[in-house]
Amino acid sequence: MPEFEPIVGRYLNVAIQGRNHRIYVEEAGEGIPLLCLHTAGADSRQFRHLLNDEEVTRRFRVVCFDMPRHGRSDPPDEWWLESYELKTEEYLATIEALWKGLQLDRPVVMGCSMGGAIVLRVASDFQDEIRGIIGLESAAHAPGRYNEFLLHPAVHGGELVATYTFGLNAPQSPEEGKRDNWWYYAQSGPGVYRGDVMFYSFDFDAREHVKTIDTAKCKVSLLTGSYDYSCTPAMTEKVAAAIPGCRYTEMEGMGHFPMIENYALFRQYLLPELEVMEAD
Amino acid sequence: MAEFPDPDWMAAFADRVASDRELAIIGGKFDVDMGITFGERRYVLRVRQGKIEKILPAPGFDVPTQFEIRAPMELWQRFLSETPPPLYHDIFAMIMRVPEFVLEGDTLVAMQNARALHRMMGLMQKVGKEHA
Repeated sequence: MPEFEPIVGRYLNVAIQGRNHRIYVEEAGEGIPLLCLHTAGADSRQFRHLLNDEEVTRRFRVVCFDMPRHGRSDPPDEWWLESYELKTEEYLATIEALWKGLQLDRPVVMGCSMGGAIVLRVASDFQDEIRGIIGLESAAHAPGRYNEFLLHPAVHGGELVATYTFGLNAPQSPEEGKRDNWWYYAQSGPGVYRGDVMFYSFDFDAREHVKTIDTAKCKVSLLTGSYDYSCTPAMTEKVAAAIPGCRYTEMEGMGHFPMIENYALFRQYLLPELEVMEAD
Repeated sequence: MAEFPDPDWMAAFADRVASDRELAIIGGKFDVDMGITFGERRYVLRVRQGKIEKILPAPGFDVPTQFEIRAPMELWQRFLSETPPPLYHDIFAMIMRVPEFVLEGDTLVAMQNARALHRMMGLMQKVGKEHA
């Protein structure tokens, strides 16, 4: 018998802000929808360990997708005529289009890094329609990640972006997980990481929005790694302080990519939060 | 045991770099002259094909470099410690969050060699664990 993993991948055609998109979606499991958002310049492969975790997939339908231009999702029509700069409203519209296109009923939305940022807006804007959010490495405002070398003709973009982000892992994390993530980052399209960090360095600011989140309607769990220098624990603590009823845990010995750099440790922090999300 | 960062310690660092299997693969185009300053002590490293071909202690201003890295000794000690604390565990963490860690000069050259440079500085941490 072939030794297939339980992950199933398919392409979804869906309109986002009026433009048709061909989006790669993969999923595993049954139960409460858990929609997962990858980090800047990466793709849903970051969630491969979660998608293979039977303790999760017997209770949750884990759904991951590659953002447009990322991984196996295509750019929109005439992408070559526009410079890629992700905007908050476009990102929100993408998530909404995916979750509604897939007919996910009251999903839990979990995102990391730029995904961890946007879930704060998902919670503020859609709190009556979702079960909750799990923010990994979440900041409401995180300037300072952009630099001009991220898309420079004299620089190998894949190597720079992958190396630039490598130090975001905790030194204690297993080499294999860190290198997997390096590989995924190195495969990003030219300027995609740059366009993503422009979103959360310049466009994204949810400091006022998070104050509107009612955790009686939409549960909020925040997990941040102690070695994350992009979104430091102090930055997430500020978010947690602004949301009454929010759960916040600092993950000791973890960096910015918990689901891929050290899944064995990450699941110890994640499983209790999934139990909270599961309870009605 | 050589004391960080005296010339013998730097020679141990160069040996560690020279024997690294990964740099042997990724460092073929890593050809730079770079300055590195530990507190008051400055060296120039002549890097050729990913190996530290020559270490110049206390170089004068007539030794040109493409880029320089400098930081106070206390900061280097954190970087080289057995379990580096957050923000001091990686050169890119320090570039982003630690103002006393300075990368200057033709930083484009540094970024063109980011992968090999990052690996080389990571190897410095391994020497640090043995000798610092």
